[in-house]
Amino acid sequence: MQYVIVGIGGQGILFSSRVLGHIALSKGERVIGSEVHGMAQRGGSVISHFKVGDYNSPLVKANEADVLLAFDQNEAVRNMHFLKPGGHAVVNTHAPAFAENPSLTKWMSEREARLHTVMGYDMLKKEMGGRFLFLNVLILGAMCGAGVGGVTIEEVLEAVRALAPAKFVEDNVKAVNLGYEGTK
Amino acid sequence: MSNKQILLGNEAIARGVVEAGCEVAAAYPGTPSSEILPAIAKWADDLGTRTVVEWGANEKVAFEMAAAASFTGKRSCAVMKQVGLNVAADPFMSVAQFKLKGGFLLIAADDPGPHSSQTEQDSRFFAMFAKIPCFDPATAVEAKEMVFDAYDLSERHNVITMLRPGVRVDHCRQDIELKDVIDLSRPASFEKDPNRWVCLPARVKINHPQLNEKREAIRKEFETKFPKYNYEVPARKKARLGIIAAGVSFSIVTDILRAWGADDVSVLKIGTPHPLPIRMVEDFISRHDNVVILEETYPVIEMQIPDRTKVKGRWNGWVPSAGELLPEIIEEILCKVLGKAAPEGAPDDLRKAAEELNITPRRPMLCPGCPHRASFFSIRQTLPKAIYPSDIGCYTLGVNQGMVDAVLDMGASITQASGLYMAYKADGKEQPIVASIGDSTFFHMGLPGLASAVYNKHAFVLAILDNSLTAMTGGQSHPGIGDKLRKGETGRKVDLEGAVRGCGVNWVKTTAAYDISTSRSLVKEAWEYARTHEEPAVLIFRHPCMLLRQKQAVIPVTVDPEKCIGCKFCINFFNCPGLVFDEKTKKAYIDERFCVKCGVCINVCPHGAILATEGEEA
Ligand SMILES: Cc1ncc(C[n+]2csc(CCOP(=O)(O)OP(=O)(O)O)c2C)c(N)n1
Ligand code: SF4
Ligand code: SF4
Ligand code: SF4
Repeated sequence: MQYVIVGIGGQGILFSSRVLGHIALSKGERVIGSEVHGMAQRGGSVISHFKVGDYNSPLVKANEADVLLAFDQNEAVRNMHFLKPGGHAVVNTHAPAFAENPSLTKWMSEREARLHTVMGYDMLKKEMGGRFLFLNVLILGAMCGAGVGGVTIEEVLEAVRALAPAKFVEDNVKAVNLGYEGTK
Repeated sequence: MSNKQILLGNEAIARGVVEAGCEVAAAYPGTPSSEILPAIAKWADDLGTRTVVEWGANEKVAFEMAAAASFTGKRSCAVMKQVGLNVAADPFMSVAQFKLKGGFLLIAADDPGPHSSQTEQDSRFFAMFAKIPCFDPATAVEAKEMVFDAYDLSERHNVITMLRPGVRVDHCRQDIELKDVIDLSRPASFEKDPNRWVCLPARVKINHPQLNEKREAIRKEFETKFPKYNYEVPARKKARLGIIAAGVSFSIVTDILRAWGADDVSVLKIGTPHPLPIRMVEDFISRHDNVVILEETYPVIEMQIPDRTKVKGRWNGWVPSAGELLPEIIEEILCKVLGKAAPEGAPDDLRKAAEELNITPRRPMLCPGCPHRASFFSIRQTLPKAIYPSDIGCYTLGVNQGMVDAVLDMGASITQASGLYMAYKADGKEQPIVASIGDSTFFHMGLPGLASAVYNKHAFVLAILDNSLTAMTGGQSHPGIGDKLRKGETGRKVDLEGAVRGCGVNWVKTTAAYDISTSRSLVKEAWEYARTHEEPAVLIFRHPCMLLRQKQAVIPVTVDPEKCIGCKFCINFFNCPGLVFDEKTKKAYIDERFCVKCGVCINVCPHGAILATEGEEA
């Protein structure tokens, strides 16, 4: 299973791959991935690669990702070429009209790739006082809600409970569930 | 279950350093190496070792601390990013010739791409320059393993050894096996011996030939004794194509070949690029008609091969001479060499979609609430005609505000200000100059430049942007902060104002970075002082970095669309991710996804359109 996770520096995308890693390791699987630290973390485009299985290289090649997890819809479009035919993009969306762009829908349908959107900002604003940092687990909930990514909602919840700082566990669980319920 | 954890490559390397019995480790932070030293401290705490783990004020300092510790017989380690080794080059070249005692490991982290560096350089080349052995790991697992062999080799040959992880090893995440510490029980014992520890020219005449001998002895070992790092897959075959690969390029190429199911290609992995096991490489080349070399980023292996006629590499343009060897690029090279159809590039439809949706890559910006933004705004509004030499840190992103005119390397804000002053002085002209430098960079390499500017009577303003952190690299401590790395250890804070005064600066004042009106009048005063007295004036802008999450007033703001005339002044000169412009309505607005309610922008709009909505204390 190969994931590409994209977003904007400061959105906390690294935590998502830590959760996926925790799940894989508890199943005894091998993992390798690549993260961005440094300059780009200051609000620039960031990308994280994560592979579960027998791989040597930490990078996912274009056309090979099973899942693209996007914290930002613009970053999703910029990195869609990582998706393999039949792959799934799970996208945090703030302006849903982008999904109707004809060039995008043409590309997606030609390779039978699927787009799943979740209105993460709206939900976190409404339900969690605008604490947008919880996007990183909300999006994992959304991935499970879409039924893709090879992990179950129970596994995600278990991993989040193990990894999140004690005083934020309940908030994290809530955000995962918001994403799970809210995927389209 | 085995004792495995998913670690960052840098945490794995650090674990190796502690397990290998290293007792003194020093570093200066720099992406992609920054996580190594804190991880050494953490593992040392976890495992209860005595390891002394400290930040040096710069890489030369850190390198020399670690070097001298190894003179006592202890295992030591110096850690830095590739350009850090430029700073430490002087002691590095010198120590390379020493007959060392305790194992001395240099970890130089490279940044092909580059992702976060002022240059794209290859530290293996530096190892070759210094004639010392170098390990080039392909994965984090291998990097950790190499630490043990590097120490062993260092002690058997009494020579400094380099581990050169690239960014994809440093910042990969992988499942790593944890082991116990090797207890070396070595008390520090410095034995006086000027022939050994003093680099007099007469001694160099003996040491240099000895270094050559060591290198050849090590080369011999690399030929036969390190099959775990230097090997062929599949073993000893004559295939249609032979690939010589090192570092993460090996990992990438083997993943590609497996995905292709290619069986007519063999790969020679080289984990010890210097000194190169030449016989092994020549034997591999002799068995193939077609050979490609993949290594990052300089042709270090390539250049050591006596006969390159059959080799496709950088010398004949088959492999790009700059940039990271990403999987897509390696795939393209393989396709070209094998005459396969090239894989599809960036698909047209997606490019069109991005264009239609007006999507471009996001450039890095200073964080919302960043104190540097406010400092730059105050300087620019006060002295708009000044030249702004700057330095390396988060504030380099002040380029977005037109506040960064020239950057070379760490510390050069001050020395460039001097040089600019000298050039205008030659014409008898007065030119306002405001240099900016961060607090960590000031202690790294600002002090000599400042002393020199005072001595030579150079008129400019130096703005020290003191955010109480080395922020760009993730938030490390430095002498101006005083915190140390290991639990329960406190250092002493070096007084910044005192250090500036100690360099001879007479005009030193401090301002709160968020207080734009006070800052502006102080900038004016500083320049008046500098130009009338012909000497540098130093203004310290102080406010903690947002990464420190210190409590501060929460001031929600809004843009009054009635008052906003759409002039974009706030976008062009202030440039906060929380304050954006709507091209449709031609008005600025607050993007609440990013705004942190610092309230600074209220004083930015010349038309009074940015207003506080309600005040509250957090
Ligand atoms: C020789 C060298 N060493 C290390 C680095 C990595 N590096 C980039 S910026 C920086 C320091 C930034 O700290 P500071 O000057 O306090 O500015 P801040 O980022 O906190 O604004 C470092 C260490 C480098 N670029 N060059
Ligand atoms: S990390 Fe700190 S210094 Fe760097 S941009 Fe953010 S607030 Fe500014
Ligand atoms: S908020 Fe003020 S500075 Fe910004 S565009 Fe409107 S009028 Fe201009
Ligand atoms: S209050 Fe203004 S300056 Fe501060 S973060 Fe929000 S938009 Fe940026």
